[in-house]
Amino acid sequence: MRILYTILFFIIVTAGSSIFISSANKTPSPTPIAFVVPKGWPQPVYDFSANPVTEEGFQLGRRLFYDGRLSRDGNFSCAACHQQFAAFATYDHNLSHGVNNNFTRRNAPGLFNLAWQKEFMWDGGITHLDLQPLAPMTDTLEMGETIDNILTKLRADTAYRRMFNAAFGSTDITTQRLTRALSQFVLMMVSANSKYDRVMRGEDTFDLPQRLGYEIFMKKCQVCHTPPLFTDYSYRNTGITADQYLNDIGRMKITRNPVDSLKFKVPSLRNVQLTFPYGHDGRFFNLQDVLDHYRKAVTNSPTVDSLVRNNLNLSNYETGQLKAFMYALTDSSFLHDARFAPPGYENRTPKAPSEHEHLYKY
Amino acid sequence: MKTNKHTTPLFNRLLKTTLAAGCLLVAPGIFSQAKKGAEQQQQLTLLFNLTAGGAKLLPGNTYTNPFGERYTVQKFKYYITQLELQDSTDMSTQFFPDNYFLIDADDTGTQRITIPLSIKHLTSVSFVIGVDSSANVSGKQEGTLDPGYGMFWTWNTGYIYMKLLATSPAAKVPANTFTFDIGGFKPGESASRKIGFYIRHKLSQDVHNIVFGVDVNKLFNGAHDIKIAEHPLCHEPGALAMQLADNYATMFSVQQVTK
Repeated sequence: MRILYTILFFIIVTAGSSIFISSANKTPSPTPIAFVVPKGWPQPVYDFSANPVTEEGFQLGRRLFYDGRLSRDGNFSCAACHQQFAAFATYDHNLSHGVNNNFTRRNAPGLFNLAWQKEFMWDGGITHLDLQPLAPMTDTLEMGETIDNILTKLRADTAYRRMFNAAFGSTDITTQRLTRALSQFVLMMVSANSKYDRVMRGEDTFDLPQRLGYEIFMKKCQVCHTPPLFTDYSYRNTGITADQYLNDIGRMKITRNPVDSLKFKVPSLRNVQLTFPYGHDGRFFNLQDVLDHYRKAVTNSPTVDSLVRNNLNLSNYETGQLKAFMYALTDSSFLHDARFAPPGYENRTPKAPSEHEHLYKY
Repeated sequence: MKTNKHTTPLFNRLLKTTLAAGCLLVAPGIFSQAKKGAEQQQQLTLLFNLTAGGAKLLPGNTYTNPFGERYTVQKFKYYITQLELQDSTDMSTQFFPDNYFLIDADDTGTQRITIPLSIKHLTSVSFVIGVDSSANVSGKQEGTLDPGYGMFWTWNTGYIYMKLLATSPAAKVPANTFTFDIGGFKPGESASRKIGFYIRHKLSQDVHNIVFGVDVNKLFNGAHDIKIAEHPLCHEPGALAMQLADNYATMFSVQQVTK
């Protein structure tokens, strides 16, 4: 009988200790964050099942987004060119600054509503959000660093090891985890609370110029800048000529097909008030320049889009009303959302201005 | 047997039931481990013997291509995937679609692939040079597919299937450095090439090593003539990449099948 007890004792001890060990080794599972699709919007294209957004992953992505160590000289974080107050574009710059006194070759786009976007860059060369950050990180004109060096720097930082463990269940720091964490952060940047959105939800009303501008917009602009995302993500030649120094052929660089010469991705017009200058190389300093291009300066060439060929018919009054409408696409709550501020600066983010103090300037 | 006095019949039965249950829980674990051990015994090793026109390929060494152009290798690496082993006697196959092997001239460990062998006979081996298109677009970046290996175009999504980086006096480009970065997965520009070899009818237990010869010189004239002087740079998918892919499809040969 004693032997029976001994065996029983060992079974209990073994079972007990294995439960203890497994609970001691287990990292608490990360806290999921729900991704909310705004009412009436299409389903996102990003595959959230492969990379579920969690609080820990989001916070890791946020830290990485604001960390200059992702660049060769430590000075250029993602946020260096993607500034929250400019809807994550580069404020007031046609081209952005990179390592070694370089300029980028294209205008930095705003970052928002990326879960709905299938292809990235002005030429659509990148086909997955997770792969997007690798391009600026390794581009010698931008962050100029190698993936290996970035991983080495992150692995040497105990805070990162702790954060990768919390987000992904072990302290391994890999390219995939790095880019997935960045995706989790930028995926949550949903901009869907402009005055336009409030009007559409029945919570607000346009003033007269905005309402007239909206009507013109729906007649003359929305085929390409389709609501609610204000882009159809197509590639079009809007009648521009290539800058003689940049000599950028756009989409043709990716497809090598001459029918894609000078075609660039249609940019979203959300937060357009803050993403100036405009165009793939930032050649248009303000909205009036863009509208003047469409009504006076379209250069016809074989690949020019039929919708703008021979210029758009827009009167002076109409351009003013269109601008009034486009300013109603500014999402102040997004620009001041503390979740997207640099870590530690949550409470230093200026409050969103009230409707009356808004930056309307026509 | 002192303790016996204090135990009741009910407690005794409970004890035995617990023990039996414990044994039942443990037993399957032991059996499945034993089974795993048996499967692991039979293994196949594929060795890639990298050469340039018969000489062993080593980074830093200089070789001469079929056009008499001399070149000094800096980097040579390529992806292999969709490895398939066939037994034509009973039509059974073993397929490894999710394994991406990156064979690197700088790392002899990568030139040896060991896989379990479960089919009865081995009559043919096939694999794809490259990375299947779904892995190109799914954002996959794990293991050998980590873009950190430098086999990835960051600005125009896609894996580089084979890379030859070398210097040559014939290359009229900066630092005389010529680069063949060969890849492409989109329709009309695919650079993946499937190749297969018949192995003379063998019982699996008689095959443990297959040595493939990989002749880098075939990259210059395997199917199309590509001179360094005329084409020192291939850095995107397209016509030149597809011609180079036709050439690398002829690079491989079976040199040896041994026990």
